[in-house]
Amino acid sequence: MTPVKRDILIGLVLVAAACAVPFLFPGRYVVTQATLFFVWAVVVVQWNLVLGVGGIFSLAQMALFATGAYATAMMGFYWKVPMLAAIPLAGVVTVAAGMLIGLACLRLRGPYVALLTLAIAQVLYVLIVNDTACFTTTGGCMPLFGGVRGIGQFGDLGFRALMPKTWHIAHYFVALGLLVVAVAMSIVIIRGPLGLAFRALRDNPGYAVSRGISRFRYQLWIFAVSAFLTGIAGGFYAVHFRVVGPTVFSFQLLLFLIAMIVVGGLGTIWGPLLGAAVLMLADEGVKELSDYRNIGLGLLLVLFIILQPGGLVRLFSRRPKRAADAKTG
Amino acid sequence: MDVFIQIVASGLTLGAMYAVATVGLSLVYGSLNMLNMAHGAILTLGGYLCYAGIQHLGLHPALALAGAAALCAVVGLLIYLGAALPLLRAEGFETNVFIATIGIGSILENLMLRGFGPYPIPQPLAVPGHVVLGNVHVPLQNLFILGVAVVLMSAVAFVLERTRTGRAIRATSMNREAAQLMGVRVGRVYAQVLAVSGALAAVSGVMISSIATLSPVMGGDPMLKAFIVCVVAGLGNVYGAVVAAIVLGLLEAATQYILGVRWSFATLLLIVILVLIWRPYGLFGRTQVVRL
Repeated sequence: MTPVKRDILIGLVLVAAACAVPFLFPGRYVVTQATLFFVWAVVVVQWNLVLGVGGIFSLAQMALFATGAYATAMMGFYWKVPMLAAIPLAGVVTVAAGMLIGLACLRLRGPYVALLTLAIAQVLYVLIVNDTACFTTTGGCMPLFGGVRGIGQFGDLGFRALMPKTWHIAHYFVALGLLVVAVAMSIVIIRGPLGLAFRALRDNPGYAVSRGISRFRYQLWIFAVSAFLTGIAGGFYAVHFRVVGPTVFSFQLLLFLIAMIVVGGLGTIWGPLLGAAVLMLADEGVKELSDYRNIGLGLLLVLFIILQPGGLVRLFSRRPKRAADAKTG
Repeated sequence: MDVFIQIVASGLTLGAMYAVATVGLSLVYGSLNMLNMAHGAILTLGGYLCYAGIQHLGLHPALALAGAAALCAVVGLLIYLGAALPLLRAEGFETNVFIATIGIGSILENLMLRGFGPYPIPQPLAVPGHVVLGNVHVPLQNLFILGVAVVLMSAVAFVLERTRTGRAIRATSMNREAAQLMGVRVGRVYAQVLAVSGALAAVSGVMISSIATLSPVMGGDPMLKAFIVCVVAGLGNVYGAVVAAIVLGLLEAATQYILGVRWSFATLLLIVILVLIWRPYGLFGRTQVVRL
C-alpha cells in the first residue's frame, strides 16, 4: 500500500467515526467541544506545515488566525457582508497578511523569524487592546477593532435561525468539513512536490539549490497556503462564538496549540491531529485543576521535546527513524 | 531643551535596562545557538526574589539583589542541566530547545502566579530623591539604574576580554568544534554562560520592576524588546547588543513623547523590520558564509 493510499484510508475511517459522534453523543456539550477541537486541529495542521515541513520558526499562526477572525467580524459589522461570503474573503485577506509577514521575515535565518513573528503578533495585540478612540457610536462607543471587548453582532451562518435546536450539529459538520480540507491539503503538500522540495532542501541543500529549488520561494508558498485555511478557521471561530476579542492572541492559547503539535509529532501528517485530540481530552480531564493547567502544559511540552521528540505518532510508526527525519531544524 | 533632556534621561534608563536584559540572551545565543524563551520568566523571578528578600526576610537591599541574582543563576544552570544538555545530544537542537524553553517559561511564570498572586506589587528596592538638570527633575533611581548597568557591562566586558573563562566563551561562540579540539570544555562554558545570563536577567528584572511594578507577566515585554535588540544587533553579538539597546531605548523614549506610548512598540518593530530587510543579519552581525 502506498503512503498516500494509507493516508486516505486512515482519513476515511476517521471521517466515518466523526460523522457518528453527534448521533452517539447528542449532548450539546460534547458536540460543541468537538467543534472547537476541529477548529484547533485545522490551525495546528496548517501550523505544522509551516513549522514542521517548511522549517519556518513562525509564531505568527495565531496572528493569522486572528486576522481571519477579525476580517470576518469587521466585514460583517461594518459592511453587513453575509458570513458565507465574508469567511472566504477573510481567507484571502489572511493570505495577503501572511504574504506580507512572509516577505518581511522569510529571508532571515530561523531564530530571527521566531522573534519577529512573535513581536508582530504582540504589536497587533497591543494596538488592538490600547485602542480607546471611538470609531463608531452606533450601539455604544466602539473602537475600529473593538478594543478590549472585541466585536460582536456581525451575523452568522444562518443555522441558528434555520434549526434553533440543532444548529450546533450543523456547525459541527461545517468544522469537520474544514478539517477534512485541511488534512487533505496537508497530505497533498507533504507527499507532493512541495514536500519533496523541502525534503530535498533538508537532505542535501547544496544539490537542491543548484537544481533550482529556492528555499525562500517555497517557504513563502507554504506560508501563504497555510495562511488561507488558518484565516478561514479564524472566520468560522468568529461566527461560531459570535464574538471576536483580543483573547485569540493570548500566549496560553499559543502554548496550548504548540503543545498539540509537539505531543503529536512535528512534521508528520497525523501527528498534529492526534496531539490536538490528546490535549483536548487531557484538558477536559483536568478541568478541576485549571489553576495548574499551564504548568502542566509547560511540563508536557518540555518532557515530550526531551524524551519523545518524534511525538506520539512515532510510537505507531513502523520505521521509527522516519518520524525523526521528518522534522527540520 | 528641557524636553530633550527628559527624553535622553528616560531613554538612557530604558536602554540601560534593555542592555542588561539583552547581554545574557546574546551570550547564550552566541555560544549555544539557543534562543532562551524562558528569559522573561527568569527576569520576573529575579524581581520577585528581591522583593521577597527585602519584604519577607528583612534583608539589606543590596544583599537581596545579590541573592536574587545568585538564585536565578542557579535556575539558568538547571535549565542547562535539565533541558539544554539532553537536547544537545539529539538532532534539531535549535528548534527543540526553543520549544522547550517556551514550556519552562510558562511553568516558571505560572508558579510565580501561584506564589505571589496576579496583582502588581511595588518593588521595595528604590532610591529616593532626584537631581535637577535645567528644569528637569531626574530621579536618582534612574541614575542608580544607569550606574548598575555600566558596572555590570564593564564587568561582563572585562570577563570576556581579559580572563581565561572569557576567552573560552568567545572561542566557543566563534567555532564550537575548533574550541573543543583546542581543549575548551564546551559543556562547562555552556553552563557558565547560562548561569551568568540568569544572574543578569535577575538584575534587570529588579531594575525594571523598580520603575514599574512587579507582576507575574511583567517579563514578557522586556524579553520581547531584548530579543528585538538582539536581532537588530545581530544575534550573539554582545557589544553590538549594548549599543543597539541604548539606541533603541532613546528611540523608544522619543517615540513615546512624539507619538504616544501606544505607538512606541509598533514604531520600534517597524524600524527593526526595515533594518532587517536592509541587513538580514543585523547591524553588527557578520554575514556568515554558509557551507553546505
